[in-house]
Amino acid sequence: MSDAELIASVLAGHSDAFDALVDRYYEACARFSVRMLGNRQDAEDAMQEAFLRAYRSLARYQERDAFRPWLFRILVNQCRTLARRRTRRELRFVSNPDALLHAKDEKEDAFDVRDALQNALSALEPILKEALLLKYGEGLDYREMAAATGASVPALKMRVKRACDAMRPRLEAMLNG
Amino acid sequence: MVDRNDTPEEDGGFANRFAEAYRLTPSPGPETRERLLRSVRQAKMPRRDGWFVWWVEPAWTLSPLAVSVVAAIAMGLGFGMAWRGTPAPARAPAASSAGAEAERVMEFVLVAPGVTNVALVGDFNGWDPRATPMRRVRSSDTWTVTLSLARGRHVYAFVVDGERWLTDPGAPLAPEDGFGQRSSVIVVGGTGT
Repeated sequence: MSDAELIASVLAGHSDAFDALVDRYYEACARFSVRMLGNRQDAEDAMQEAFLRAYRSLARYQERDAFRPWLFRILVNQCRTLARRRTRRELRFVSNPDALLHAKDEKEDAFDVRDALQNALSALEPILKEALLLKYGEGLDYREMAAATGASVPALKMRVKRACDAMRPRLEAMLNG
Repeated sequence: MVDRNDTPEEDGGFANRFAEAYRLTPSPGPETRERLLRSVRQAKMPRRDGWFVWWVEPAWTLSPLAVSVVAAIAMGLGFGMAWRGTPAPARAPAASSAGAEAERVMEFVLVAPGVTNVALVGDFNGWDPRATPMRRVRSSDTWTVTLSLARGRHVYAFVVDGERWLTDPGAPLAPEDGFGQRSSVIVVGGTGT
């Protein structure tokens, strides 16, 4: 069944049809959110909230739009929101020297993804990382990326180019090291 | 996965190597999927057909049509990307006598020159642009629709010519909805209604 048929089925009252959509996009959403956020707990939260929002909002989905970029738009926004929250949390945390002294290693608790690719990605600006992951990780075309991120196609091409320029030496080092 | 035609400016070798490394990203376990599906099943089912029930169900009755409150919007629309701010007179809110009824009759008015159709969408009609089309007032630029809304907070927007979403410049904005679209907020039975 196509995405549109599954969505029509959900809207007709067959909520189980949404399971098939989850199965179809679960892996892609998991990969993207893990790589965007760098830790599994936040990634799972983002993914769970994204699918839940997509389900609740299916009535707003327009068939002329492809489901994948529509879903990714929700996921991208969730990742941005969680990243902002985490930044605020960390800033508050850092601003309190006493708390910092007595704190546990937060990264250890947060199930950080610690591998060479993540190390290379972590040095990228979030918007560059987002563009690179959507383009070369998930294989979205620029039109789909524009729908998913709200950015223009020329801006996305520039972001991908900058991300590639920054990542190329790191990736080479990672693969050769 | 990598669409070379879409990215002639990029190094295909890099793209493929990156994609290969990315594909090795570990997946969350099946328990995460189960937890996700459980939360989905507990959520309210999405519906797109609510308004059909609304109109064809004869047993549905409005509270007395005692109130006509106007959410009036003065907005000029232009073709293309430009907005023309040509204010139009807004209808003043009428006095309310609905008391404590569960629903209130609301009239929404949008002034939008140069458009061919307008619809009201919101949480009350499943955000369906086909559900609540607005009616043009005597070949003017004014579009209107009257409907009954339950008391409480509602989020809404206008869809112009089937694709452009507008918020109400005279109403508070709802938080960004996760889709990059903003909506307006109206509190039925609250201040100003």
